[in-house]
Amino acid sequence: MALDSRSLKKSLLGTPRARLRGLLFLFWVGLSVVIIRLYVIQVIKHGHYLALARENIVKSTPIPPLRGEITDRNGVVLVHNGPNFALFEVRGEVRDPREISWVATDLGIPVDRLRRSFRNLGFVLPPHVPLPLATGLSMAQVGRVNMDLYRLPGFFIQVMPKRIYPENNLAAHLLGYVGSFTTDDLKSSLYRHLPPGTGVGKSGIEKEYDALLQGTPGLRRQLVNSHGTMIKNLKNKPPGEGQSLRLTIDVRLQSVAERMLGARRGAVVALDPRNGEILALASHPAYSPGELSQAMSTARWNALVRAPEHPLTDRAIQGLYPPGSVFKIVTTMAGLMEHKLDPEKSFRCGGTFRVGSVIFHDWKKGGHGTIHLHKAIEQSCDIFFYTLGMKVGPDAIARVSRLFGLGSKTGIDLPAELSGTVPDRAWKKKYLHAPWYPGETPPMAIGQGFLTVTPLEMARLMGVVAMDGKIATPHLRLDESSKMLVSTSLPVQDFPIVKADLRDVVAAPHGTGHPVNLSFFAVAGKTGTAQVVSNRGANKLIKRPRADSWFVGFGPFEAPSIVVSVLIENGGDGGDVAGPVAREIFRMYYVIHATPSSPRTTSPPVATSGSSL
Amino acid sequence: MIPQIGAYILKVHPVFIGVLGAVIGIDLLTLFSVVPYLAMKQGMWVAVGLSVAVGILMVPYTILVKNGRVIYAVVLALLLVVVLAGHQSHGAKRWIGVGWFQIQPSEFMILALILFLTAYFLRDGKDLPMTPSLFLGGAFATVLPAVLIARQPDLGTAVELSIIFSVYVLLKGIPSRVVTIFVLGGLAFFPVVWEVVWTHLHEFQKDRIRAFIDPSSDPSGLGYHTIQSIVAVGSGGWFGQGLSGATQVRYQFLPGAHTDFVFAVFTEEWGFAGGLLFLGLIAYLVWFASRTALECRDPVGFYLASGVMGFLLFSFLINALMVLGVLPVVGVPMPLMSYGGSAMIISLGSLALLLNVRFYSKR
Repeated sequence: MALDSRSLKKSLLGTPRARLRGLLFLFWVGLSVVIIRLYVIQVIKHGHYLALARENIVKSTPIPPLRGEITDRNGVVLVHNGPNFALFEVRGEVRDPREISWVATDLGIPVDRLRRSFRNLGFVLPPHVPLPLATGLSMAQVGRVNMDLYRLPGFFIQVMPKRIYPENNLAAHLLGYVGSFTTDDLKSSLYRHLPPGTGVGKSGIEKEYDALLQGTPGLRRQLVNSHGTMIKNLKNKPPGEGQSLRLTIDVRLQSVAERMLGARRGAVVALDPRNGEILALASHPAYSPGELSQAMSTARWNALVRAPEHPLTDRAIQGLYPPGSVFKIVTTMAGLMEHKLDPEKSFRCGGTFRVGSVIFHDWKKGGHGTIHLHKAIEQSCDIFFYTLGMKVGPDAIARVSRLFGLGSKTGIDLPAELSGTVPDRAWKKKYLHAPWYPGETPPMAIGQGFLTVTPLEMARLMGVVAMDGKIATPHLRLDESSKMLVSTSLPVQDFPIVKADLRDVVAAPHGTGHPVNLSFFAVAGKTGTAQVVSNRGANKLIKRPRADSWFVGFGPFEAPSIVVSVLIENGGDGGDVAGPVAREIFRMYYVIHATPSSPRTTSPPVATSGSSL
Repeated sequence: MIPQIGAYILKVHPVFIGVLGAVIGIDLLTLFSVVPYLAMKQGMWVAVGLSVAVGILMVPYTILVKNGRVIYAVVLALLLVVVLAGHQSHGAKRWIGVGWFQIQPSEFMILALILFLTAYFLRDGKDLPMTPSLFLGGAFATVLPAVLIARQPDLGTAVELSIIFSVYVLLKGIPSRVVTIFVLGGLAFFPVVWEVVWTHLHEFQKDRIRAFIDPSSDPSGLGYHTIQSIVAVGSGGWFGQGLSGATQVRYQFLPGAHTDFVFAVFTEEWGFAGGLLFLGLIAYLVWFASRTALECRDPVGFYLASGVMGFLLFSFLINALMVLGVLPVVGVPMPLMSYGGSAMIISLGSLALLLNVRFYSKR
């Protein structure tokens, strides 16, 4: 068969089959080596190795890293760390399953709750990894457990960092909260190296910049004997602290925004249109991030999730609202771009407008009389824009809306941003499987109907107006290489017309935005009062929620450097309700910039350093 | 077809099925003691591997061998994909993502090479005489994927490929004067070859070889694996520490406890007695493979079963001797035992090839 068959046919290894037998023989030899070696190690030298295994146990305990601090643009601390006592269990070292109930008695916590706290992680992680049983222990609890720990080598108390919010609940949605480590977190490579019990960002900035804030865990190495008693400390690997993060937020503007929102439901966005830096981003009602960052009872969590006013929703980036009359800016631009609007041409507003059999009314009974574009914007005449919208058509309005950035996420560095809807013929066909009816165009022209936006999108839109057609990406992380303004294809020459009109909305005594007017700071803007439910026809007799109030504006008029977008849910009239909120923000902005070099005089809270933990 | 094969297996080879089941049971229990979750995932891979095995049993081995070249080319192409667009994990580029899971084509190369070499060394079911060009062609077909795999870096699988090739060369037979020339030449050029190989090894691979020469030179660093593994095995004693008593595993002193060093975990938990039982089971599987080859009249079946036997035998021995500190740490997984989807699939697949040869060569 093989090449050498002629010479070796008769010998022992002459044929492939014979050589296979030789291979099998080799296996028996190898197997004997394995068995002999196993016997030597396991039986003859058993005592030696068992002693090695028992007496030289190096116990490694992860040391949690400190999360980075978060400050506002002037260095005022918004989030830092404090100590938090936590009890850990190392399942591999627990000798008696009853031990956990002894610990539970010491703590005064039901044993079932302790067991439940790590059930999921225990299934996935090896038994030598310490799992947190209970966090946020009081000194009394720590003291009671500590007395028993000497006989419970499987349990230990460790000081964990916890998030502290010195500014109370300020900017809760923006900052987000830190939660405990779950099995899902293990799937992400970002978290794989973290010890259980470490807080990971669950929402807001804490989630968005988790990789930056997190830091790297250290390792405490101890030589322990078979009783689990420490013999000596070995070299520790110190944890790497997370990087601190400086936001573009100004605490003073943020507090004014939140104070003015008060108990009302709504959102405020203030940004710098020149570079997209967010100066304030508020959403009310808010939650307490400090409370959410700790272990929380299921009942309390469910109450938060199911609360009718949705405190967990960040209305500034997730709330979808009709923009109301603020949208007339877009309709105007569409008219100018399509050359279907002459700013000088006068127009007769009779208070009603008819499309087919549908009659649309102006918000002002009897209409505004004979006006032109300037007055139409200043007094927010609906009939003017119904007419203009019908001339321009929904597709052109939608196209211009998209140029202003509506209908797509702004790209702000926050998780879970939503974008509003810009409807047109194609959209309606695709999602509602219906053609566009002419009667749907007038509502769209005044920012009603299918159209929705977020307060942040409206701030960006007003930024585009303020910057004469240039758009900036809103962002929260302050970095020196500021994002650049990007040109859109909106015509630069049309902006002065619109801006002059917007100035008079605030400045003119009859302008709808007159409540915002400040004598020392030139503000321009637009009000909106967006109906949530039609207030005519079948709904006439039903007690309906009041309209959402908007004010979106910028200032100073000559060289815009701040845009403010205010939304109050069911607030009513835009100028009277949302206007004052914006006014106070503009006032504070003026105060900050009138006094040069203005880091807050009150000393920021002293951040706890790593050594205190 | 399936009921026929099933009936045949159950009737003629109930011991084989029992032994296989016992080994897999031992594997899952051991992994469960390391991390329960791993046992669950491995169980899933066993299910996948068994369905692959059923697939292999459906196609007569002669047809598989006839398409050996195609299968080899496909796996080789996958290896190239890994080189170009593979996933990096633990510093090694071995995986490609397929939907929600990842596969490791280097493991599949083992089966592909066995099929390829069987097809390559035979023509029309007849044994070809060994010529230098035949040898070189086979060597090239082995070295090409081996180099790609060694660069991932995965030295263990590359070593396994060259061993499979050596098994085939050994079976074909080499004239004694060629052997003499190679041995003398090898001795003469050993320093040169060593130099070349040494410079091309990754630093951690060099460290392993250094540590093998003197394991106690740096207990926490280079020889750490070997020492921790021996301590784990040694603390097992006659009857072991039990499933929950394996302290060396508990404290994660033994890195790779679920992959390359699962045998150490097993012997710590089950002791020498359990070790003997397990070795018996493995010995039966290897013996079964050798009987399959020897009882098969068809040279194709003979070479195929021999290749499978060579793979099982050597990867088992190398892994066990590595765990016991006799061989350096090369990263050869133990068939049917080490955690890993691709490895489990090819272990079960290769055993299915044995049954395949037994079933179809009879008719």
